[in-house]
Amino acid sequence: MATLGNSANIFWHECPVGQAERQKLLNQKGCVVWITGLSGSGKSTLACTLGRELHSRGHLSYVLDGDNLRHGLNKNLGFAPEDRTENIRRVGEVAKLFADAGLICIASLISPYQKDRDSCRALLPDANFIEVFMNMPLSLCEGRDPKGLYKLARAGKIKGFTGIDDPYEAPLNCEIELRQINGVCPAPSEMAGKVVSYLDSKGFLQA
Amino acid sequence: MIGVTNKSLILLGCPELDFGKSTSSSSRKLGFPKQRVPVSFDFCGINKGLSGSPPVRSSFLAPLKAMDGSRTSSTASSSYLNDKVANFPEIHLSGCNSDDNVTVNDCKDVLKTSTVGNSTNIVWHKCSVEKSDRQELLGQKGCVIWITGLSGSGKSTLACALCRGLHARGKLTYILDGDNVRHGLNRDLSFKAEDRAENIRRIGEVAKLFADAGVICIASLISPYRKDRDACRALLPDGAFIEVFMDVPLQVCEARDPKGLYKLARAGKIKGFTGIDDPYEPPLNSEIALHQKVGLCDSPHDLAETVISYLEEKGYLEP
Repeated sequence: MATLGNSANIFWHECPVGQAERQKLLNQKGCVVWITGLSGSGKSTLACTLGRELHSRGHLSYVLDGDNLRHGLNKNLGFAPEDRTENIRRVGEVAKLFADAGLICIASLISPYQKDRDSCRALLPDANFIEVFMNMPLSLCEGRDPKGLYKLARAGKIKGFTGIDDPYEAPLNCEIELRQINGVCPAPSEMAGKVVSYLDSKGFLQA
Repeated sequence: MIGVTNKSLILLGCPELDFGKSTSSSSRKLGFPKQRVPVSFDFCGINKGLSGSPPVRSSFLAPLKAMDGSRTSSTASSSYLNDKVANFPEIHLSGCNSDDNVTVNDCKDVLKTSTVGNSTNIVWHKCSVEKSDRQELLGQKGCVIWITGLSGSGKSTLACALCRGLHARGKLTYILDGDNVRHGLNRDLSFKAEDRAENIRRIGEVAKLFADAGVICIASLISPYRKDRDACRALLPDGAFIEVFMDVPLQVCEARDPKGLYKLARAGKIKGFTGIDDPYEPPLNSEIALHQKVGLCDSPHDLAETVISYLEEKGYLEP
């Protein structure tokens, strides 16, 4: 019996079917691919493309998109710093469950603060958290402005918008960094291919 | 050219990468021998193909079935998470987010955002791999088996037996045990009424995600209030929420007292303990009710087989 956080008198229930058995069934290893970057940097696009690439190779993945989760699990959270932290914490915990289930879990959210991303990293065994940094310049992201948010932020209609009046702390030790080449953004399929190669080289695409 | 540091893989340019067009297609499932088969599909109306994938090591997977252009180029505002239509503006990943190389200022489409709860300015991002694709890969349908009942009624035991029985049939399951989730996602919640509700809400939302991923998700938690269980039911498409009521008398549960909690509750050392000084509202319309009388208990294996038969009958053990 243990007390954890605010939960007293809880136990840990073990089960005979564990991660190893599930991974054998799926012929892959569960992990978390954490895609971070400014709004408009292409995180969701990469997540989707990566999911498709993995599916085409017979691998089960699932995308946890920051916006999509804010429609459900995280709909009671706003964008104040403490809510962003809680948002990321919850996504990290859910990603951990998905990785434990044997899935390749692709988390796609701005996740601007290093401390919060590091906390998620700490939830998983070291090699199973793969941080992918969409290192695209603010000018590119703002030029795209797919949701019109940069415009609203510049007009002062949104406060605390990452990149405009809230910081983005670039990862110091990400596993994969994706950048423009000579001012041109690589195709999503190319970037996804890099992530797939990485996963393959690290043994995640086999049991 | 790729620069690789100890931990970072920096994409500087990959002229050797060439995802050329291809034409053939076939279906893919787990558990069958895999062949290298190139794939072509429509991605939001842009015809792109993938070259043959890197050398395949798996001996378990069948060739891939090309994804329908109709699915990936759909413009209907359908929910990513289930088959109900959601009224959320969504991004279809085309235009500047397509497979084309883009330069700055290529994309001028602005998507309409919405507010859900406390989250403002969000959109729904739809992906080309959908629930049906994952279900086909797994050979099953995602759903939520929600096991409810008093402490000591055998929920966790049934969950494990069910998991074992389904795994033996080659099905992918995952257990969300109330206690286990309180070690992680829900570690910030207590047992006060509002926190119990939030505990159940979050587990319901996570179970929904697992079901959408194609997993047979087994949620095992007391979940004493009907309103909270019904709210979880409402998150899922009809039929995909399978409520299993462990109908075991309090007397039997208390005699078992596997965690010593009834003893503590009777001694007044735990307040608000379900069944002692907090209510349990039994389901009125559960899909499965497992009745256990005093002195007469079915084995967990037999109880699990009852649930598995139900799943089989309803078609969840096939795509």
